[in-house]
Amino acid sequence: MLIQLLTKKYPGMRLWLSQRLTALVMTIYLVLLLGLLLVIQPNGYTAWHDFVSPIWFRLATLLFFMCLLMHAWLGVTDVLKDYIFNKTLRAYLQVAVELALIGYLFWLAFILWNI
Amino acid sequence: MQKTTANHKQKNRPKNLNLFTIRLPINAIVSILHRVSGIGLFLALPLILLAFQASVGTPRHYSSLMQILDTWIIKLVLIGFAWAFFHHFFAGIRHLLQDIHWMTSLQKARFSSRVLLWLVATLVVIFALCIWMW
Repeated sequence: MLIQLLTKKYPGMRLWLSQRLTALVMTIYLVLLLGLLLVIQPNGYTAWHDFVSPIWFRLATLLFFMCLLMHAWLGVTDVLKDYIFNKTLRAYLQVAVELALIGYLFWLAFILWNI
Repeated sequence: MQKTTANHKQKNRPKNLNLFTIRLPINAIVSILHRVSGIGLFLALPLILLAFQASVGTPRHYSSLMQILDTWIIKLVLIGFAWAFFHHFFAGIRHLLQDIHWMTSLQKARFSSRVLLWLVATLVVIFALCIWMW
């Protein structure tokens, strides 16, 4: 039943599930991050740098951000569909949002690479 | 035949979409705030990335970021951001719980909306107090 709903026949279900799954991944990341911050309490530059340096932290942050971009894309697309009635304007805004999101992903990858 | 009459009737129903005369139910308020906070978080993304970049850059970048964060106007922005985050986060969790059919009756949904709004308000006040003392 669920598998059938996720085939190409029902694209809306895929989007719906993507939004939920990305939300779940982000929640797990944020709860773990908050817990680590409360336990370690990185105070000052050196401690903060040590906190963000491990490769697993950087990979987790990249995964979190990929989920965030997918989630933001789904959400902003829905909002644009609901409130922007001029199709040309909406298409331009959609492309602008997509370019921005892809740009953010490269930006974050650059930041994480250079830590 | 009956169906067309029903459709015809629906078309002639009085319609009022004037936002200034509609009193939104509490669930609708939570819903629209979920959208508003989501858009707010999306618009804040470049600022978050910029701040993160400065924090992990050189020690000088780090200290100038700390100085900027210490100004009262930025603290107000941070409080606004905290509201958007808390609202979107907890309203999202409420959505996920409703997806697994928890608290879905109208009465229970209204109750969870009220709990959500109070929870978010409390967290924002705590956040504001924390960064004020910091």
